[in-house]
Amino acid sequence: MGKVKIKRKSTLIDMTAMSDVTVLLLTFFMLTSTFLQKEPTIVYTPSSVSEEKVPVNNLVTVLISSADKSGKLEDPSAVEGKLFISFTGDADSTFSSEKIRQMMLKEALTIYNDQHKNAPVSLTNGQIAEFGKINMFGVPFRVLPEFLSMSITERDKFQGDMSNPKVGIPIDGNKNRDGRLNDFQIWLKAIYNVAQTINNDQTAGLSPEEAKSVQNLYAALMRQGEGIAVKADKDTPFTTVQQVFDNLQTMKLNKFSLMTALKSEDEPTQ
Amino acid sequence: MAQIEQSDGGKKKKGAQKKMQIHVDFTPMVDMNMLLITFFMLCTTMIKSQTLQIILPTNEDVKKEQQAQAKQSEAITLILDTEYEGDKPKVDAETGKTVHNIYYYEGIADTTFSTPKYLRREQFIGNQNHQPQGIRKILRAKNEQVMEEYEKLKTQWKNKEITKEEFDQLAKKNAADSAKTRPVVVIKPGPNTTYEGLINALDEMQINQISRYSIELPHHTDTVLLKRYEQEHGETIIRPTIRKK
Repeated sequence: MGKVKIKRKSTLIDMTAMSDVTVLLLTFFMLTSTFLQKEPTIVYTPSSVSEEKVPVNNLVTVLISSADKSGKLEDPSAVEGKLFISFTGDADSTFSSEKIRQMMLKEALTIYNDQHKNAPVSLTNGQIAEFGKINMFGVPFRVLPEFLSMSITERDKFQGDMSNPKVGIPIDGNKNRDGRLNDFQIWLKAIYNVAQTINNDQTAGLSPEEAKSVQNLYAALMRQGEGIAVKADKDTPFTTVQQVFDNLQTMKLNKFSLMTALKSEDEPTQ
Repeated sequence: MAQIEQSDGGKKKKGAQKKMQIHVDFTPMVDMNMLLITFFMLCTTMIKSQTLQIILPTNEDVKKEQQAQAKQSEAITLILDTEYEGDKPKVDAETGKTVHNIYYYEGIADTTFSTPKYLRREQFIGNQNHQPQGIRKILRAKNEQVMEEYEKLKTQWKNKEITKEEFDQLAKKNAADSAKTRPVVVIKPGPNTTYEGLINALDEMQINQISRYSIELPHHTDTVLLKRYEQEHGETIIRPTIRKK
């Protein structure tokens, strides 16, 4: 009797094809996606039929925090309406985000100290340089020195805690009788001034290419109104958003955009 | 595939080396790639946010005489409201969307309540079977002349008779054509309206090609109308403001 021979098959699986597929997938993801920007709080923007894309460069985003949705807080609206600002400069020019942010901070500080002569805020050069690296921030001027001397992780933790009264750019006191601007208005004014100085004075000594990107920045920020985008949660009450609108109007920035997600016309809105 | 065969041309020579099979194991490579993919999937976004542009008027006090007065027949006022459940916006169980109500009236506020049309209620329903419903239907009817032309332009664009740029330009011109009867819409978000409600209303302006609209805060007369509506329908519309700030 002959024994039945069981053929031993090699268990080696050829992974080359698999590897090919994963590399293709990887390439796809790398080319089509953009990195998520770190934001201190998550908001879900409402959807709209508008198809205009958010500009990648030269954008000022104003983020309005939403009410607490986790249900952990007794008063969910306590964390609502905190303001954060982020500046994005031109990606490939001499006016990178970092440089623009530093210019804006210096300008804003000058305005602030001019209005608060009794309690001026001063920052070291190192702190100003540190500010250039922050994508989105939301602290009052008086907290800036403390905020900028923190490490990155500490800063994220600090900003992420919406119930902290030190978080959020102060916006109350619109149209003060004594003409004093609130922190949010000072930032807006600084942005406006920086865009204008760049446009007026500095175009002279620049190469045509640089001058063009400066003009783009100015146009984006000020003229077309694409430069300022308000980002708020869909469940945020209008009154909270209105406050921001009102401040923008006071600063004569009547043209701006609202961040939305895309939906089709046929989709029911309710 | 991953093996490299070293062929010796079939001739056996004396002292020829033994046939070597080189096998490269790609498993670690795949592992690493998978990790990279996971990283990219988690840290990036494919959805690019859209923007909706709005232009607000100045908030400085403007004298009454300087204000542009809209023709009574053209004006339509939308008072927005969002229903709440506790301190969260009420969500419709069927559609999973927040419930927004629109109370609207045409012309100037009719505080004598002479007609039942002094205030009517609609919702944002969007399209059903490609037909506008709810508030969209009403706004569309108000802007019929512009919309007819717009549909024509849209067909032309779809048939590739005009380019996208031309279409955009013509549509813009069409929406602002003063020879046509166009409505003036006043959007008044009530104290409990959510941001989504406002965006929905602005969306309707875009969909219905309405070029003249403004956002205002509700006036005292609007409250009077709402109160009357409450009495007549036995409903509570005016609720205490959710946010006490």
